[in-house]
Amino acid sequence: MADIKDLEGLVLKGEMTITEFACTKIDASIERMKERNPDLLWTMEIQKFMWDGFRDAHKNGKKLVFYGGSVPTELIAAFDCVGFYLDTIPFRLSTNPSLTAKYIDEAEKYVGASMCGLDKVELGAWLSGAYGLQPDMFIYNSVPCDSSRVAYPAMEKIIGVPTFSFDMPFRRDERGAEYLADQMEDLIAFMEEHTGHKLDWDKLKYYMENANRNFTLQKKCADLRINKPCPMPGRLLVLNGTTNAVACYPIMGDLYESELEAGQMMVDLGMGVCEDEKYRIAMLQNMIWGNAGIMDWMQKEYNAVAVMDAFGFQGDIMYEHMDDRRDCFKTMGRKMQNNPMIHGASGPSEHHVKLVEQIFERYEPNVSMFLGHVGCKHTWASAKMVSDMVQEKFGLPTLYLDLDAIDGRYKSGDEIKAQIAEYFETVVMR
Amino acid sequence: MSYEKLFESDISNEAAKAWRAQGKKALGVICCHVPEEIFYAADVLPVRMRATNCVDSSAAETWMSSFSCSFAKSILQYWLDGTYELDGLVVSDGCMMASRVYDNAKYINERGDNSKFIMQIGAPRKANARTVPFFRAELQDLIDALEKLTGNKITDEKLKAAAAKCNEARALVNQVYELRREKNPVISGTDMLKLTLSATNMPIDEYIELLKAFLADAKNRAPITDSRARIMLIGSALDNPEYIKVIEEKGGLVVADALCFGARGFNEPLVTDDKDVLTSIAKYYLDRLVCPRMMDKHIEMHDFIIKSVRDYKADGVIYQRMQNCECWGGENVLLEQRLKDEGIPLLTVEREEHMANAGQLSIRAEAFVEMIEKED
Repeated sequence: MADIKDLEGLVLKGEMTITEFACTKIDASIERMKERNPDLLWTMEIQKFMWDGFRDAHKNGKKLVFYGGSVPTELIAAFDCVGFYLDTIPFRLSTNPSLTAKYIDEAEKYVGASMCGLDKVELGAWLSGAYGLQPDMFIYNSVPCDSSRVAYPAMEKIIGVPTFSFDMPFRRDERGAEYLADQMEDLIAFMEEHTGHKLDWDKLKYYMENANRNFTLQKKCADLRINKPCPMPGRLLVLNGTTNAVACYPIMGDLYESELEAGQMMVDLGMGVCEDEKYRIAMLQNMIWGNAGIMDWMQKEYNAVAVMDAFGFQGDIMYEHMDDRRDCFKTMGRKMQNNPMIHGASGPSEHHVKLVEQIFERYEPNVSMFLGHVGCKHTWASAKMVSDMVQEKFGLPTLYLDLDAIDGRYKSGDEIKAQIAEYFETVVMR
Repeated sequence: MSYEKLFESDISNEAAKAWRAQGKKALGVICCHVPEEIFYAADVLPVRMRATNCVDSSAAETWMSSFSCSFAKSILQYWLDGTYELDGLVVSDGCMMASRVYDNAKYINERGDNSKFIMQIGAPRKANARTVPFFRAELQDLIDALEKLTGNKITDEKLKAAAAKCNEARALVNQVYELRREKNPVISGTDMLKLTLSATNMPIDEYIELLKAFLADAKNRAPITDSRARIMLIGSALDNPEYIKVIEEKGGLVVADALCFGARGFNEPLVTDDKDVLTSIAKYYLDRLVCPRMMDKHIEMHDFIIKSVRDYKADGVIYQRMQNCECWGGENVLLEQRLKDEGIPLLTVEREEHMANAGQLSIRAEAFVEMIEKED
């Protein structure tokens, strides 16, 4: 097994694709975990399922659908296609700053430096010919942000495959739900044309049922965090927040089942992830994908656990009338508006404020942090409204800390830790 | 009749004050997808918000952070510090920054005396048979709200009359643009931007009269003969004529633009359909090329830029993008190669609302002019 640096080198030289890199890295992690931490294998299995599925889609006779923003993955799956969420690439590479840097630099030949690092990596990697995947279709949405609204249409032209795009309404209301339901019908016509198959409602129902199961379990996992001490590590919040891509597959439910089992065992034993829990942190923004180890460090160093974050925290929108086509499509639309990164960030700020208020009421944190990704400018532009509410209703100040979720050159893990440490020592612990 | 007011581009409250003194409402508008026709039909003065000459947006930065576009931040600054004296604000989700100006203004208003009318309308990012009815419904909400605010009924006849007025202004501005096709035009790019910006300082009737006076006098104006190159200017919202002045002082005469406060804000006439006037307004505002926020109009915008370069005989394009303006920030992905293919030189520059980098712009503009100027 080659060293990770060697693998990175191969990708940098263009001798290995990102897909091969991800699959090889995941296999290596699984091998290590089997030896050292077999109880946690479930955290890697989902990643293997995803990346092997992308790589082997064509080999398995399935069409590969690239998608960006929030799109109804249930429909993609119901047409027997494999959906590849573009953000999966920057998520995966975020712990390899030399790779993200390469693709960001490639994108910045054309786009402004202030564009979100996720979009820059997606664009730069495609322009570098590094994906190792060739899509059959592309579906995107006009969310989450202005960066993606520029990057996706540009990629549509560059990739040059049949493309469908959603227009997401800004507000969350009945008109918007009807509008999105209409667009679901358009998407189905598009999928039928490009797959050659009619929509099989029973298959769609199967994936909608899976989505219901997964979100029910996700809510149960979230509810475990109400316990004091909190039985689940902050790191899992980061993982749960990035699960859009597989939200309708049984394996997602399996992950939550394992998470629930592990968490419930801790509760039953009266144990928390911190030896002596002192601080319960609410993350108003939580995009530290490249430095998720900071969660472990806060637990160890300060007995401080992130109990919930406004990035991955979701409501419980479920499919209720599975034989009512219109109702299902409206629910699908509402779910799209309620995805992580969409719900609190790309609609009216009052949603973000309400989301955080719910978190404070439910999880009773005593520390408030806004670890804001610099590319997420519109979220920063809501931050004062959110933190004012936290101060006024819950009497807590908020740490604002800027970081780049993807580009490790912006701020290192040590710099982030130093700023958090200063906050703990000068504000929280006084 | 003196038309000098057309060249006063500083923000003025004079018209809004006079309008409100008559017991009528004046509302701020952000940005290109809020139809002014609906305001005039309600006898409301629409004031398109801008931030010309804003040099300190620190109060707004407290709300929107340093990571926001400085144009949007500066508008919020002017809203907060009372530079604008208006009855409220109507915002479309042109971009996320515009949306956050709305969110913050609404939040601040509700926690204060809640005296302002603040409303948001959703503008789709695609123009097609699905999106037009949605936008029409949003515009109907605006009509309902303005009727309630003013007590004035907005009829189709009033909308058509307002569209006719706005079309008259559009046609007159386009006539001024035509003057710039000349080898030695009688209006500089700096003055042209002042002229289009001044539309936000006065009611449309007054604007129309001033434009007519200017056009009648145009033949008496001295042609500009000392430029070295003809430039087309494209990019983010530009509401500061001083920016163009820096380029023109180096010999680059700006003869065409694709700016939302310039040519694109006026555009073609709105043709109303008697069967459904509001749908024709919705369609017009989604179809017109103003801002790359529209996901399905990038290629059309690039076609427009190339055609304008040809029509106005521009020697090159300056593409200015505001830091943190993502809508315009990504155009080079496709545009750069297209311009290369067409043999059109391109200069890309970053800027801030505050004219912080005028010296750098001056040097780069001079070098670009030297590169593209042609011997006569």
